Amino acid sequence: MKMKILRKWSRILHRDIGYFFIGTTLIYAISGIALNHMSDWNPNYSVTIKNFNTDLNLKNSTNVKKNILILLDKVDSRKNYKKHYYPNNNKLKIFLKGGSSIVVNVNKGFGTAEYLRKRPLIFETNYLHYNPNRIWTWFSDAFAVALILFAITSFFMVKGKKGITGRGGIYTALGFLIPILFLIFFM
Amino acid sequence: MKKIIILLVITTMLFSCKTETKKEAIENVTKTEEVIETPQLAIGEFDIKAGKYINKEVQLKGIVDHVCKHGGKKLFLVTDDGDAHVFSDERFEEALKGSEIIVNGIVEEERIDEAYLLKLEEDNIKSHSEGKSNKEQFDSRKKYIQQYRDKMKTDSVDHISNYSLKYVSHKELK
Repeated sequence: MKMKILRKWSRILHRDIGYFFIGTTLIYAISGIALNHMSDWNPNYSVTIKNFNTDLNLKNSTNVKKNILILLDKVDSRKNYKKHYYPNNNKLKIFLKGGSSIVVNVNKGFGTAEYLRKRPLIFETNYLHYNPNRIWTWFSDAFAVALILFAITSFFMVKGKKGITGRGGIYTALGFLIPILFLIFFM
Repeated sequence: MKKIIILLVITTMLFSCKTETKKEAIENVTKTEEVIETPQLAIGEFDIKAGKYINKEVQLKGIVDHVCKHGGKKLFLVTDDGDAHVFSDERFEEALKGSEIIVNGIVEEERIDEAYLLKLEEDNIKSHSEGKSNKEQFDSRKKYIQQYRDKMKTDSVDHISNYSLKYVSHKELK
């Protein structure tokens, strides 16, 4: 009788809390894949490269900003100007609003613009994955507790050969075995 | 009764005067604290002067060239005259890229000497033999280690200090 009640409540909690955290699960799953492959791509922005040539005098001087703005009119928009500096005598780097930037060889006149565009949805999920503030810390802690609850309730949800004493048990053992083997061979 | 009232009035006045003195003292302390300013170093002179400020707070003013995309806890601050790395325990906002900021931080020193380079060399060989790095990465690391050795030899020193800033706070300039 006690087992029956435990099974019933395990199903109720697993199902209802599961529904509640579907959105959060997707946030962590999507951003998890995106951030796992950080060395292969930029998970937050898509990058477009545009090469150009210019005759403008962009060498370091007090009134160079005027020419920088003229350049921006041609390759982007002067409204997007943020700051600029010279990493060395040949190179000018211009920062644009939104994270984009332009690098110009001031002696040879060729330049490269790197335009960044936020990856819709993935940018936002990554932002949350990185734990932006205290409120989200508490919410994500609650999600982590829910995950533990899902694991525990799954032991009691189904009885018989598909439950933890049957097939479910084999899957559970495999789920533990994979990380253990990984630790043995790679740690 | 009259005497008691006079005594009470005098006592009250005395206490109120004492409180005023305390208040003044506190104000003076606050004023003194305000006068102590964090020294501001130019980024161009950071590597030269940082040695004097190890474990002390300084200010650096510069443009954020980029925030490290892996973790976001490292920031590269630049000017026409030089650059500096700022490290933090918390993530920096990516939107800071291209902004001019004043950063307050504690100067930290990383000392590179022969023992450090031997350890790097050992790790490089181990990592390559285990297949964790390819030939190109192995050679590049080897070259990097040799550059430090050459520099120490040229400068006739037994170590090279790399300075960075441990982030405390920042203010964005408009």
